[in-house]
Amino acid sequence: MIPFPTPQGTHAAPVAGALSIRGVSKAHKVDGRRLDVLREIDLDIAPAEFVGIVGASGCGKSTLLRLIIGLDNAYDGEIRLDGQRILSTSLDRGIVFQDHRLFPWLTVAQNVAVALAKRPLSKGVKAQLVAENIALVGLSGFESAYPHQLSGGMAQRAAIARALVNEPKVLLLDEPFGALDALTRLKLQQDVQALRRRTACTIVMVTHDVEEAITLADRVVVMKGRPGVITRIVPVGAQGRDRSSPAFARLRDDILGELMAEPATAAVANLDDARQRQG
Amino acid sequence: MTRARFDPLLSLVGLLALLLAWWTATRLGVFPRQVLAPPESVWRAFVQGAGSGELGAHILASLGRLGTGYAAGALVGAAFGLAMALSREFEAYTSGLFHAVRQVPTIAFIPMLVLVFGVEETFKIVVVAKASFYPVALAVFTGIRGISAKYLDVAAVYTLSLAQRLRLLMLPAALPPVLTGLRLGLSRAWVALVAAELLVADEGIGQMMEMGRQMFRLDIVLMGVVVIGTIGFLLDHGFKLLERRLTKGMSA
Repeated sequence: MIPFPTPQGTHAAPVAGALSIRGVSKAHKVDGRRLDVLREIDLDIAPAEFVGIVGASGCGKSTLLRLIIGLDNAYDGEIRLDGQRILSTSLDRGIVFQDHRLFPWLTVAQNVAVALAKRPLSKGVKAQLVAENIALVGLSGFESAYPHQLSGGMAQRAAIARALVNEPKVLLLDEPFGALDALTRLKLQQDVQALRRRTACTIVMVTHDVEEAITLADRVVVMKGRPGVITRIVPVGAQGRDRSSPAFARLRDDILGELMAEPATAAVANLDDARQRQG
Repeated sequence: MTRARFDPLLSLVGLLALLLAWWTATRLGVFPRQVLAPPESVWRAFVQGAGSGELGAHILASLGRLGTGYAAGALVGAAFGLAMALSREFEAYTSGLFHAVRQVPTIAFIPMLVLVFGVEETFKIVVVAKASFYPVALAVFTGIRGISAKYLDVAAVYTLSLAQRLRLLMLPAALPPVLTGLRLGLSRAWVALVAAELLVADEGIGQMMEMGRQMFRLDIVLMGVVVIGTIGFLLDHGFKLLERRLTKGMSA
């Protein structure tokens, strides 16, 4: 790894949460053969921006999030957060996975407090932060419940509280509502919208639900697989967010069209996916 | 799917059947009375031993060794298993020897251990420790290695220190298999201890049986069998109850 001089002070004002992804490629070795997962990904994300990444299963979108969070640093290219190269995990980045990944032997409050374990704060301050963030996701009263006593939606809320409690610069959402029923998913999408008004963090959400991406994101990044590349970046205007507006329908058809315009086998899979969403 | 639940008393049926077969065999004189003592004379031997305090002293001697040896073996085993689970390097250096020695039954080490440690207390405690070491070491190792990468990712995301990983993730996650390993280690240790006492001891349940055999008091020998079985069962069952209590509500 080449040490990089940290360009602190090069910015006029401290910019919080600017992500810069430059020429990122990632390959796995499968049976001695090189399998490209990501190829030459370039993406700049502004502070406090919400970017939705859509693509079919296996297009490398979750892998990209793993690289941004810092769980995997074996890749080419570079990812910087506010100019600083990301080489490992850090408390200035939080993530919510598709499965809540709460520790089953800890209560909701204890699970949220896990994220604070490394912070040099007093017990009282930690307890207050935990309580505030549990309240923020609407789980007050369930502090001492265990994960198996919660519904899927509630568990995912607890996971969001855990990701937010450190007030990260960047929040990563890896298909966070993919395992939830339609109604719960809609409710949580609204909650995330409300959350955005209260926190200033940059959000990157991976999803295969195009409508979800349009509803929530400022820009929708379309990825295609094997190897994963960005084929388009679609800005979503204010009117585009309203699900009943013609602008929304146009954006959706546009992005779905983009996703389906690929080699025959992958296109069929995407068509099925799209049909499920619409039907 | 619901499983049919049977009355736990049903497990006594097998026991009663055996008792009946034993009693019938002695009644019919299938074996000489000196070889197969009838249940009532075994009972008499038990009452006699219990009354004189001799049986109690033997049991106490055996349980004392079990406690000391088991504590040492389980502790060292847990530390060894933990080191193997946490360090690939430590695992690489030790796993060959670890798994090879594991294939040799504890009893096969007894002649060698007698030469090294003599026939005094140390020898019996080493036998017990060796017997409990493996199940515990193995359980801790596999318990921690078996933790889902998903949870390890969470620990990495929040940059937990090793101590925090152990306290918040590894030990609770590994608790159920480790408890099973501890239970298995205890029953292995008990079996090995009795075997060691049968061979060399001046006190203890095994020694009591060996003395009985030498005096051709098969009633005492059989009484020993029953006492060993009962104690072993109680230890195992008590541990099982403890296990259930400690892991209650942990199933996700």
